[in-house]
Amino acid sequence: MIFATIVGVTLRALLGRRRTILMLLLAGVPVLLGLLVRANGSGVRDVGATLDGLVVRVVLPLVALVFGTAALGSELEDGTAVHLLTKPIRRSTIVLAKIGVAGTLTAALLVPSTVIAGLLLARPGSGPLSVTFAMAIGVLVGSYVYVAIFVALSVATSRGLIIGLGYALIWEGVLAGLLPGSQVFSVREYVRGIAAILSPAATDSIVGAGALLYAAVALVAATAIASVRLAVYEVRGSD
Amino acid sequence: MSPQSFAQLPTAGAPAGGPTAALVLEGVSRWYGNVVAVNDITFALGAGVTGLLGPNGAGKTTILHMLAGLLRPSAGRVSVAGQPAWRNPAVYRAVGLVPEREAVQAFLTGRAFVELAARLQSLADPAAAADRAIATVDLEAAADRPVGTYSKGMRQRVKIAAALVHEPSILLLDEPFNGMDPRQRLHMIALLRTMADAGRAILFSSHILEEVERLADGVLVIHAGRLAAAGDFREIRRLMTDRPHTFVVRSSDDRRLAAAFMIEPAVFGTELRDNRLTVRVAEFGGFTRSVARVARDAGVSLFEVAPTDDSLESVFAYLVSRR
Repeated sequence: MIFATIVGVTLRALLGRRRTILMLLLAGVPVLLGLLVRANGSGVRDVGATLDGLVVRVVLPLVALVFGTAALGSELEDGTAVHLLTKPIRRSTIVLAKIGVAGTLTAALLVPSTVIAGLLLARPGSGPLSVTFAMAIGVLVGSYVYVAIFVALSVATSRGLIIGLGYALIWEGVLAGLLPGSQVFSVREYVRGIAAILSPAATDSIVGAGALLYAAVALVAATAIASVRLAVYEVRGSD
Repeated sequence: MSPQSFAQLPTAGAPAGGPTAALVLEGVSRWYGNVVAVNDITFALGAGVTGLLGPNGAGKTTILHMLAGLLRPSAGRVSVAGQPAWRNPAVYRAVGLVPEREAVQAFLTGRAFVELAARLQSLADPAAAADRAIATVDLEAAADRPVGTYSKGMRQRVKIAAALVHEPSILLLDEPFNGMDPRQRLHMIALLRTMADAGRAILFSSHILEEVERLADGVLVIHAGRLAAAGDFREIRRLMTDRPHTFVVRSSDDRRLAAAFMIEPAVFGTELRDNRLTVRVAEFGGFTRSVARVARDAGVSLFEVAPTDDSLESVFAYLVSRR
């Protein structure tokens, strides 16, 4: 009951007109690309790599960042969270509801985007669509893991948005994968690994079968950190 | 005015009230790096209305936030309804907080906001509880409009309704009368009085003497993070007027006047410096009544007699120095 109430309020808060339109546009970029390719008639040779480079590397972390930091962090910033914090509700319940809503919204936008883009990008008559669907499952899991991390960041620090952006663009976008062993700490690698489990042709993956475990650990850890930090969150007045 | 709320009148070093005291601070301090916002404060409050009086920046919001479990004390203990306030969400069944910051999502209607609070409190019938709370703060007419369209006073009232919806035994209000017109203020005072008489413990902060005087049973005066005075309002008023005062006097013959003043028992010091005559008196009333006579008897014309330390600031500073 309380959970549903928090979900409802968060949903209303996240789906403001401007944000929704912006996220729809972002999620539409892979689809647009697919349309252009299809219009050209050729299709791409490696659908998995294209989806990885476009959706997983760029669009997914950005959409997750927007929803993830808005779900709780922005309420803490503008003071509206005080009404939620001064209620007899466990902090973990609040965090779970916020991650649930933001993660589901992210997945709801990006899973269809991945599927449609994959269908459009594939060469006509190229056979089974396992690669596309494998990537879509990876994106589904990745949505929740990214959102959990960004929610935790936005509770732990007031600079959550900047740090999250840095993480998404610099770490995930460039560094992870370059430094040996860093793949273990990269959500993008988890997504690729999960896709590779389902369809080996989807993508090369260094983490391989461990991806699911790593993703689960990251999700649980981020949720726990967010809950603990929320429990000791201090509201400093201007006095 | 019920004297009940000051069952344990705080004096320096005295232990806090017994287990029944609703709001207890024991040796509580709060600092941010080198800045001490609240400095070794002890008090215990029960049913009734208590005013937290002090200038802006004195530490009132910090105290209220610590009582509301939103801030951790750097030292000392904060207890609410017998439990620690920090890291204890269960305490919010018994406590309602009305924060000073706007802090309400603008797109919600007043009713939706109050009902939301009711649902988050797991009340059995949130809609009915919300209706009651809205009626209590006299906001029925505007309840179905978005909060974004409300005036400041209306936003205050909707926050109060949300804080009351679960009928808490303890209510904390941070500058609750901000933005209210006189009629709304009277209504709110009557409401808080009724709640206090029914046994609730209410603590509200203000920097306006008259508000506190009108409503509070007891007063806690805070200045620069310290508890300057605590007690019945009349006592505090007396402390504030019966303190040493300093006056600046301009006359036709300052030196002669200074000599004449030193004979008066109320005066304990005069200073003549930079062509200014400063007079320090132990007691306000006696001096003001006698100053004209003294000047006349000395054959000196008075041009100006002005107090130099009449600000609330210096009053509070004096009260702190007494403790």
